[in-house]
This record gives sequence, C-alpha cells and structure tokens, in this order.
Amino acid sequence: MTDSAIDFSDVALRIKETGRKAGAKVVGIAAADAFNHYVPQGHRPEDFLPGAKSVIVAGGDGPTAGAWHSPDHDVIENIGYDLRENVAVHVMADLIDHEYGYYAIQAPSREVSGHTPPMSMMLAAVLAGLGTRSLAANIILHPQYGMLYYAALITTMPLPPDHVLEKDVCPAPSCVKMWERFGTTPCLSACPASQGGCLEGKIENGKIVENFYDRERCHSRAQTYGAGSFQKMLLEIVNEEDAEKRKSLLYSDFFTRSIEALAYYKESIAQCFECIRVCPVGMKDRAKM
Amino acid sequence: MLRVHSRLSSGNEGPSEDVSNRRMEAHKSLASREEEIKRGAVAFGAQVCGIADAAAFAEETPEGFRPHDLLPNARSLIVVGGAQPRAGDWISPAVDTMMTTSTADRINSVARKIAQEVESRYGYYALFVPPGTRKGNQPFLSLMLAAELAGLGSRSLAGTLLHPTYGFLYYAAVITTLPLAADSRLTEPVCPAPSCVDMWEREGTTPCLSICPAKSGGCLDGKIDNGRIAESFYDRDRCHTRVYTNWIPGFQKVLEEATNEEDREKRKMLLYGNFFTSTLWSLTFSAQSQGQCFECMRVCPVGKVTKK
Repeated sequence: MTDSAIDFSDVALRIKETGRKAGAKVVGIAAADAFNHYVPQGHRPEDFLPGAKSVIVAGGDGPTAGAWHSPDHDVIENIGYDLRENVAVHVMADLIDHEYGYYAIQAPSREVSGHTPPMSMMLAAVLAGLGTRSLAANIILHPQYGMLYYAALITTMPLPPDHVLEKDVCPAPSCVKMWERFGTTPCLSACPASQGGCLEGKIENGKIVENFYDRERCHSRAQTYGAGSFQKMLLEIVNEEDAEKRKSLLYSDFFTRSIEALAYYKESIAQCFECIRVCPVGMKDRAKM
Repeated sequence: MLRVHSRLSSGNEGPSEDVSNRRMEAHKSLASREEEIKRGAVAFGAQVCGIADAAAFAEETPEGFRPHDLLPNARSLIVVGGAQPRAGDWISPAVDTMMTTSTADRINSVARKIAQEVESRYGYYALFVPPGTRKGNQPFLSLMLAAELAGLGSRSLAGTLLHPTYGFLYYAAVITTLPLAADSRLTEPVCPAPSCVDMWEREGTTPCLSICPAKSGGCLDGKIDNGRIAESFYDRDRCHTRVYTNWIPGFQKVLEEATNEEDREKRKMLLYGNFFTSTLWSLTFSAQSQGQCFECMRVCPVGKVTKK
C-alpha cells in the first residue's frame, strides 16, 4: 500500500479505537519530531526507530476508586495494576505492523540509568494532548481522569498529530481559590518541601509560575519497596558478619516485600499516593457509591 | 485540616446529587445485574463466577480479614475462578511444563477488569483483592472462603477448593459496595467424589491421600465416614515448602546459603545454579499463585473433564 492510498485521518481514528478496545482509557498521537525541541539526542523517537514519524500514547487506569477509598494502606501499596495501556500499545503496534506495513515498536520507558528512562512517557503524553504537568510531582494530569499511567509506541506511519492542550489542567480552579486564600494547594500542603516533603510551588494569575519537586526524596518514599530497597537490604545482608543476624534480615518482612516488589519493577508501582489522593482533578471519577 | 481533605472523607454529609442519581439509576436494574456481571466475567476469561455476601465473612474470619476492613461499606464479593492448567498441561510428560507455566495471573487480570467495569458501569466502589500475601503466608482475605461463600466449590481432602465441574481452579475476588444478590454455598460437598468413596471403602485411602500421605512424609491425611469427610489433616507448612519450591522462600534460602559460604567458587556455583536462576524467574510472578507440585490435583477425579 502506498502512502497516497491511505487516509491517515481515518487510520488514526481506527488505531485509537483499537487502543481503547484493548484497554486504554485514552489514546493520543504526537509527531515524533516534536520531541526534538524538548529532549537531547539519545532520548528522541528517531533514536529508537529510524524514520520514526509518530508516537501513539495510551493512558490507562491505575488504582480503582475502591482502592483509593480503602482505609488499609497496604492495599494500594500492594495491589497489582493491570496496566492495560501496555497491552493496548502492543495491540495498536500489531495493527500498524500487520495491516498497514509500517514499523511500530513499543517506546522504551524503563529506567536504564539512574532514574532516567530512555524515552519520557510524561513528555509523550503532553505532546499527544493527553494532559499537562502538575504541581504534584510533575505528574501529568488528564483533564477528566487526573493521574493515568502512560505507555507509547513509535511508528514510521505518518499520522496526523493531536495538539498539546491549550489550557493547563493544573492548577484546577478550586486549587487557585485555595492558593488565593491560604497560599497553598492540596498537593503542596500534603507534602510541603519546607517541612520535609517533596513539593513547592507558586501560582500567579491562575498559572503555575514556580515549581519545585524533590525527585530523589520522593523516590525514596514513593517506592519504599522495589529494586532500591532490595539492593539496600542485600548490601546490609552481605556486610553482616553474624550468620543469625543475616538470617533474620534475609527472612524479614521488609526484605520479602522488597523481593515481591521486584516482580512489578517494570511497572510504575508506588507506596505513596498522597499528593494525588488530594488532587481535585479526576476526583469526580474517583467518587463512587 | 484543609477543606479539600474533608471532601475526600466518606463523611456524614450524604451523597452528592450526582451520586444519588447514579444510585437511583443503579437500583432500577438490580435484578439483572448479577447475570450481567457473571456473563461479563466469562467474556473476560473466567471459567466460573459467583457472588458472596460481604457480611457472611463475619461469622468465619476475625476482624482485620473481612471485606469491610479493606473497603468501607463493602456489600458483595464477586469471585471468579479459572486459569487452571489446561488438559495439555496435565498430560505433558515434562515436569517443567506446569512448574513454570501454571500461575494465577490470567484470573487476576479478569478480576482487575471486573473491578474497573463495576466502577465505570454501575458507579460503585470496587476493589480488586490484592492477590499476594500481607505478611508471612497470610493473605489479605481468604479467597478460598470467598469462593466457598460464592457457591463455587467446597474444601477437599487435598486442601484445595474443588468446583463440582472443573475441580481445581485459581480464584480472584473483587470487593464492592454494589449490593448484589449472593449465591448460596453448595449444599452437597464436592469432595469426596463417588469414585473416591468407593476407593476408601476398598482400600482405606483416596487418590489424593495415597499420593501424598502425611504418615509417609507427605502433607495429607483424612477419613471418610458414610460418604463424607469425617477427618481431614493438611500440613500447610510442609506443602508450602514443596509447592513453592522456586518462589521467594527458595530465593531467600539460596541467598542465605550463598552468603554463609566462605569458598568463593562454591558461592559462585550457588548463585549461578539452575535452582537459584529458577527462583529469579519465579519472582517475576511473585504476586501470583503459582506452584511446582500439583500431584494431589493430578489424581483428583473431580474436574476430570478439564483434563481430557
């Protein structure tokens, strides 16, 4: 099939519908070269797929409203997410590859060096018009659903891109009002950097004008169980000279949970959700009967 | 406290107009909802689906392990079963087949999808019960009890729950505030099967008891009187060490051995050994129910239809 024989607008609609049917809550498209303005070489779609033209981004649900509502903090810390956005990305990639004959690959997003992913899913979501950065740890907020989990695919298919949202999702109107009355917002007050938390910011004329996020501190708290805690305990274990103490470290609940968490390492799983718990964006979607 | 926090609490101020409307709408079709959910569960990949009353747990489990401890105002549990080994798995001559492929992940995926559906379609809270353990071998909530209360099976001499048609299944559950008509517990126990009663009368044992007898170093013991289980013994800890050979405990055990080993070469052999490598692969399914021993279920006549 030649490019001129394809109506890419129709194809884009079909791909999005396919992604939604496969489990994505939202799907958006970004132009691959739009990344060049924001990220250095080595982190652009073209670096992973020569001839990349488009990036298709799928957003999926994280915890259900019931999980947010649970009084037992172990639940939201332990619950496994379906993370259907990853499945949706593969289903859409298969469609592009098998039916239209263009290259399509999953965009690599797992950290490979420190906390830096090969390709930023947050930027991909913003460029695909799915949301904007927030005061809450820079998390991308979708205007209707708030926090979603994102995955993407890169393709050589030249699809019409969606537009970056014209209006910032954060701060929400209620947060602007709160800022005007109290000089803070729900997320900033839940985790203020000035009191040992991770967030700081400033709003002027209804817009974010300053934004501080202590990623290192947040990481150590949001991902209490994971590769980091596993490595920390492992070091302690191999350094421990007393065999009995070593044994108690090895079989402790903390180390066991750290091992369990490794199973979800490819997924974005966290043990702290407090800035998003109080975020009004998407709260309607989290209120059930 | 900031005002935004008060909006998050369940509060006593009553539901919003939006929530009230949804609640009214939801009550209109209450009668058909159970069937709709069960049909949906099967379409998502469950073999069976049943509904349990959340309040029924109070009689059988202590505080802290009941549905409302995980989700306030819990009314119902939607329990799905499936993902059991396929007929081909059972006849596979390679032990590695079921040791490495049989896990509960497919049924957990179904339950997660049901939780999302209940919230988006009916507007009630729905919580997928975390499938892992909370501490030690303690689950967040007993899925066996949930399945039993939902009428999906009954306990067996083999320690597992048996569905009358399909026998051994993996189970997952969703707790919800959605009020649903609960199914009843099975009136007739699935175990012992008629052929097992015959065997007991002839030989004083059953297929599962004879394959793993506690008195010969196995995990099971029991007694049948008048076609019913009269005594049952299951050594959970022993079974655990054999069924979950490759899981987290296996990993911890080798790691302990490796750190205790002073000889560098021996340490290297332990760390690169097949057993330790298997435990690492197994960890990637750590939140799933998985096992490396299925012998009591291999010989169980219940659910034979799924093994042919």
